Amino acid sequence: MEFKRLKEWKDKLHVCIRCGYCYEHCHIFKITNWESDTPRGKLILLYALLHEEIEPTDYMANKIFECFNCGRCDASCSAKVPVTDIFTDVRADFIDGGFDVKGTLSHINEDLCSKCGICVSICKYEARTLDKEQNKIIIDKVKCRSCGGCEAACPSGAAYIEEGYMVSEKELLEQVQCYLGGK
Amino acid sequence: MGLVGIERLKGILGDENVKTDLADLYVYGSDASVHEALPWVVVRPHTIEDVQNIMRYANPRLIPVVARGAGSGMSGQAVPSKGGIVMDLKRMNKILEINLEDTYVRVEPGVVDDDLNRALKSHNVFYPPTPASSRIATIGGEIANNASGVRSVKYGAVRDSILGMKVVMANGDLINLGAKTRVEATGYQLDRLMVGSEGTLGIIVEATLKFVPIPKYRCMGIAKFNKLEDAGNAISEIMSSGINLSMLELMDNVAIKAVNQAQNLGLPDVEAILMFEADGMVKEGVDIEVKKMMESCKKHKGFGIELSYDAKERTRIFSGRKKLFPALSQFKEYYSCTSLADDMAVPYSKMAETAQKIHEIAKRNNVIMTAYGHCGSGCMHTKILMDTRKKSQWEDAKRAVFEIYEYVRSIGGTTSAEHGIGISKAPAFKREKSDSLNLMRAVKKAFDPNNILNPGKLMDAPDDWVTATSLRYRLDEKDMK
Ligand SMILES: Cc1cc2nc3c(=O)[nH]c(=O)nc-3n(C[C@H](O)[C@H](O)[C@H](O)COP(=O)(O)OP(=O)(O)OC[C@H]3O[C@@H](n4cnc5c(N)ncnc54)[C@H](O)[C@@H]3O)c2cc1C
Ligand code: SF4
Ligand code: SF4
Ligand code: SF4
Repeated sequence: MEFKRLKEWKDKLHVCIRCGYCYEHCHIFKITNWESDTPRGKLILLYALLHEEIEPTDYMANKIFECFNCGRCDASCSAKVPVTDIFTDVRADFIDGGFDVKGTLSHINEDLCSKCGICVSICKYEARTLDKEQNKIIIDKVKCRSCGGCEAACPSGAAYIEEGYMVSEKELLEQVQCYLGGK
Repeated sequence: MGLVGIERLKGILGDENVKTDLADLYVYGSDASVHEALPWVVVRPHTIEDVQNIMRYANPRLIPVVARGAGSGMSGQAVPSKGGIVMDLKRMNKILEINLEDTYVRVEPGVVDDDLNRALKSHNVFYPPTPASSRIATIGGEIANNASGVRSVKYGAVRDSILGMKVVMANGDLINLGAKTRVEATGYQLDRLMVGSEGTLGIIVEATLKFVPIPKYRCMGIAKFNKLEDAGNAISEIMSSGINLSMLELMDNVAIKAVNQAQNLGLPDVEAILMFEADGMVKEGVDIEVKKMMESCKKHKGFGIELSYDAKERTRIFSGRKKLFPALSQFKEYYSCTSLADDMAVPYSKMAETAQKIHEIAKRNNVIMTAYGHCGSGCMHTKILMDTRKKSQWEDAKRAVFEIYEYVRSIGGTTSAEHGIGISKAPAFKREKSDSLNLMRAVKKAFDPNNILNPGKLMDAPDDWVTATSLRYRLDEKDMK
């Protein structure tokens, strides 16, 4: 598969000194604690992909989609590697390459969805559209920033964020309850 | 190591703590150095028993084991050059005890330096060695490298903050070294031997560290110099004048420009700046120390001196220095900042000469180099900035590195002040310590008879650092701009 957009970032990838400063605040790293889930780790993978030393796999693609776009990595990097811009572009490459990914993205439960379109209007990244012909909500996996806005806004409980990263509504509620001394 | 081995490790640690996907191996194959080599498997212990079981599995099978903290080492110490198991210790990150009465703290090896200091701050004490990488560097990695930092001039390196530790040996045995007391003369100081051992003698699984009170007053100053030589002379004078300073940092023009470009800090575009600090419980005392440093700077043509007791302002001034290494990558388009010849220590009286020599050597070898560092503790940092895509630049770098170390040795300096030896500095280290290498090998054999702990490092690293492992930069001259 061709990493057309990634290739444009070749020089920026070269500038990364692999100091690791970018992972200090990375939420994904804090959840999994594996270095391969850090921004530095993902940049290392992209460098290898770019030089065709490893084959892209579902596992790798999924990693690149595990990110909340918080931008803390960009802010920590004095080498000015535009980490999140690189990730956004390479996501588009992976989608073009036909990879099916879950990452931290939002999803839709078709059975519950009433096609009211509230999630479409709430999403400030224009990641959701209502396809009138198919009568279904379409999610743009490159545009979705996993902010959870749609999940909070959906009156039918049909929009949801991938679980396992401690940010879905259910997981957040559990954490609050735990903090307040409940179970 | 076949499937059976992987299954055994999964049996010991649980599936979720063992990684074998090529994607993971790639990531764990490098650190902040120029080196790269893939491990066979990455494992993540949570307890001392986990570490013991991994070692008991690996030792009879002669499988290399490389301990890893944050992977922020700059000389390839955590790069598994002989393959094997990378043991990621970041999940062993509990602060086990803060004992205010006996003034020590007990921690697991994966505790991050800044996290430790955040926990200590509420008790008005701090753990002082703190490298610039303290936001991610782990205590285990710091001990294994004898890290130091900006305040080491007053409070010492990591070795000066260690009271004791627990270590898992190559065969899985657990030993206790040192003590919890401030002094100890009970036989060989084996805890000290672990300091700077770079994962080659044992796995540090717990450390007892001392802490000190946070001083009530800290005053930071900054002085500008039109000549690097003048700044060097000021350093030498400050250090010999009996001032009990807590920081003295040098940045040359390359470093200043890089920080300004990356962070827009507006540092003055001069040949050098010195940042100095004094701290203490009594303001008058701090005033006296700072005044003396100002006078030394002025005597050597330092100008535009600014002082600040304000914590926010001090952080602002210093933030540029903390992010200098990454910022240097911004200095020139298509140039990368490589961690080479990066942290020599030289006598104070030779600071000025060394700084100049660095630039001379750089020019002669077609690379850019910078001179900066914790000069108060004699540490002179440099980095090599070059177009890493070009093969010829690696040859240039190799020559420059060789010349720098030959010079440093000739003036009574040493190869590494704090970043350790690993792979890239091994050739210079071997030349410097030629008369004790055999003794070091004997020590290594006593600790690790099967040579499984981080093999291929220090005295066992190859003589040519360029070909010792794959370089993590890819040569790429075809569509070069
Ligand atoms: C931007 C930047 C700035 C830096 N500034 C400084 C500085 O100011 N001062 C300084 O001293 N260093 C500095 N460093 C270098 C580095 O951060 C330090 O040496 C740090 O102590 C390494 O810690 P780590 O957890 O990353 O160790 P790693 O890089 O993961 O490991 C380093 C070595 O320690 C061994 N090791 C790790 N944990 C253990 C353990 N539990 N038991 C046995 N062996 C172990 C490894 O096997 C390896 O040999 C800097 C690095 C970067 C990238
Ligand atoms: S992206 Fe920036 S902060 Fe992250 S490792 Fe690379 S240089 Fe360091
Ligand atoms: S933007 Fe993504 S990779 Fe960067 S710190 Fe946030 S979650 Fe981590
Ligand atoms: S999670 Fe946020 S960005 Fe993604 S579709 Fe929902 S509202 Fe839009």
